[in-house]
Amino acid sequence: MALPGPSTMFLLLPFDSLIVNLLGISLTVLFTLLLVFIIVPAIFGVSFGIRKLYMKTLLKIFAWATLRMERGAKERNHQLYKPYTNGIIAKDPTSLEEEIKEIRRSGSSKALDNTPEFELSDIFYFCRKGMETIMDDEVTKRFSAEELESWNLLSRTNYNFQYISLRLTILWGLGVLIRIALAFTGISLLVVGTTVVGYLPNGRFKEFLSKHVHLMCYRICVRALTAIITYHDRKNRPRNGGICVANHTSPIDVIILASDGYYAMVGQVHGGLMGVIQRAMVKACPHVWFERSEVKDRHLVAKRLTEHVQDKSKLPILIFPEGTCINNTSVMMFKKGSFEIGATVYPVAIKYDPQFGDAFWNSSKYGMVTYLLRMMTSWAIVCSVWYLPPMTREADEDAVQFANRVKSAIARQGGLVDLLWDGGLKREKVKDAFKEEQQKLYSKMIVGNHEDRSRS
Amino acid sequence: MGAAQSASEEIRELVGKTGFSSDQIEQLRRRFKQLSGDQPTIRKEHFNNVPDLELNPIRSKIIRAFFDNRNLRKGPSGLADEINFEDFLTIMAYFQPIDITMDEEQVQLCRKEKLRFLFHMYDSDSDGRITLEEYRNVVEELLSGNPHIEKDSARSIADGAMMEAASVCMGQMEPDQVYEGITFDDFLKIWQGIDIETKMHVRFLNMETMALCH
Repeated sequence: MALPGPSTMFLLLPFDSLIVNLLGISLTVLFTLLLVFIIVPAIFGVSFGIRKLYMKTLLKIFAWATLRMERGAKERNHQLYKPYTNGIIAKDPTSLEEEIKEIRRSGSSKALDNTPEFELSDIFYFCRKGMETIMDDEVTKRFSAEELESWNLLSRTNYNFQYISLRLTILWGLGVLIRIALAFTGISLLVVGTTVVGYLPNGRFKEFLSKHVHLMCYRICVRALTAIITYHDRKNRPRNGGICVANHTSPIDVIILASDGYYAMVGQVHGGLMGVIQRAMVKACPHVWFERSEVKDRHLVAKRLTEHVQDKSKLPILIFPEGTCINNTSVMMFKKGSFEIGATVYPVAIKYDPQFGDAFWNSSKYGMVTYLLRMMTSWAIVCSVWYLPPMTREADEDAVQFANRVKSAIARQGGLVDLLWDGGLKREKVKDAFKEEQQKLYSKMIVGNHEDRSRS
Repeated sequence: MGAAQSASEEIRELVGKTGFSSDQIEQLRRRFKQLSGDQPTIRKEHFNNVPDLELNPIRSKIIRAFFDNRNLRKGPSGLADEINFEDFLTIMAYFQPIDITMDEEQVQLCRKEKLRFLFHMYDSDSDGRITLEEYRNVVEELLSGNPHIEKDSARSIADGAMMEAASVCMGQMEPDQVYEGITFDDFLKIWQGIDIETKMHVRFLNMETMALCH
C-alpha cells in the first residue's frame, strides 16, 4: 500500500507541472503576440493591415454562411427570404396648397371662381396626412436601428440568428476575450498615463507627452473594438483654435476621431468610471468639463468655449452638436450654440458600415455598459471618416443658418439624409414653433383671401 | 408549431375581415407594437409618440376617430378607452385604395364608408347632424395655429360655409325656416360628383426581399 502511494505521487507531479508549463507558455505567447501586433503598433501609429485582412476574411465567411443556409433551406423547403421594406407607405409629395386647389377644382360648382375659401373638402388633406404619419413617420424610423438588407450572423441586427458551426462560435468567443483584455489595457493606461503626465511642470514637453499618451490609449481602444477606420482628406484635419463638429451615432465617435488627431473634449462631468477618466485626462491637458448645473446656462457654456477657442495654444474642441445619438442614417438638427462662438468650424462626417456591427446607441433602451459590451461582441466596427474643408460664418448668416449649412455639408458627404427634425425629439415633444408653421400656412391661404373679399 | 399555426390563422382571419394583404398586416402589426410599446392595446396617450402628428391641426379629431365607436362598428355613439390590433386595422381599412377590379356597386359602397368616416369626424356629438356649432369647431381647429386670426373671422368663415351647404341641400329656404344641420344624406349630396376615393387613401409600397433565417 505504501509503495504505490509515493509512486502515484511521482506520476502525478510531472503531469501537473506539464499542464502548468503549457499554460504558462501559451499565456506568454499570447501576450507577446498582443504586444507585438497590437500594442506596439498602436503606440507608434503603424498598422500591419491585420484588421483589413480580418475584414476581408469576415466577408468571405458571411458569404459562405449565406450559401450554406440557402442550401439548407432549399432542402427543407423553407421560405428563406421574407418581405422587407424601409417604410411601408408611399407618401404623396404634393404640398398643402397644390392638393387643396386640386380637390376644390375637381368638385366646385362655381368652377370659374378662383378665390379659395374654406370648404368641407379641406379636411381631406389633413386627415390623410395624419393617417400617413400614424402608419409610418420619419422621426421614429430614424431612431430605431437601421434594418439590414443582408445579415451578419448576429441576432441583433437581423432579428434572427442561426447557429452555424462550433468553430465560428469559438473564434468569436476568442475575439471577445482579446478585446476585453485590450480595453482594460487601454483604459488603465489612459488613466495612469495622464495622471503621471499631470505631475510634470507645464511646458512643451508636457504637451508633447500628453498628446502622445492620449493618442496611444485611443489607438489601443480602437483595436479593442476592432474598429477598421478609413480616413479621407486628412489634410483638412482641425487645427488649434477651431471647433471640430461631427455627426453623432455613438460614444465611440469620440474614440474614432481622437485616435487620429489631438482634441480637447467638451462634456458633462460624469460619476463613476467615466468621472475618473475625465479627471485624469484634464490633468494632462485642458479639456472643458461642465458640471451638470452649468450645462443649462448657455451663456456660461458659450463663454468657456470662447475662452478656450481664443487661446491658440489650446487644442481644437470636439463637439457633437446634435445632442443625442441618431441611428446613422440621417443628420438631425444641429443645435446652434457651438456655431455662435465665431471660430472656424471643421466639419467631419462619420458613417458606419452596418454590415459588421450596428454602432447605434439607443440611450433610452440600453445603458452605457450594455452598449459597450454589445460593441465588443460584434464582429467589427467598420466606418469611414471624411474631413471636410473648414467653414466660417458669413456676414449675412445667423447661427441657425450657419449650422444648417454645416449640417448639409456633412450629410451630403456621408450619404446621410438631411432632416430638419430636432434630435431632442427622441425624448421631448415637438417645439411649438414647428407646430404653428403648417397651421399658419393653411390659415393664411383661407383668411387672407376672405379678408380681401370682405374688404371689397 | 401550434403557436405558429394559430398566428397564421389569425392573419387569415384579419385578411378576410379587413381586406389588407398578409404582408401589410405584418407591417402594420409591427407599427402597432411600436406605437403601443409592445402592449396589446393602444390608448390615446400612445399617439403622443408620433412627433409628425403634432403638426396636424386636426390632430385631436384624427386620434378621436380611432376610438370612435361608430368607426369601430361597436355602437352608435361614445368612445372606446383602448383599441386592440383588430380595431386598429378596422380604422386603417377606411384608407385603403379602391380596388380597380371592383364593380360599380362595391365602389359606391367603399365611397360611402369613407365619407361616413369623415362625417363622424365632423359630427362630434353623434346625433347624426353636423350643426353650426360643430362646423365652427372644425374650422377653428383648422385655423388654430395662426395666432393672428380672430375667433370672429373663423366664425364668419364657418357661417358662410354653412349657408352655402344649406343652399345646396335645401334649395331656397323660407325666411322662418331653420336649417338644423347637415345630415349624412345631405353630406353625400354635397360630395356628389367629386372624386374623393383617390384623395382618401394611403398607398402601400411594394415590398422588397430580405434574407430571413430560421
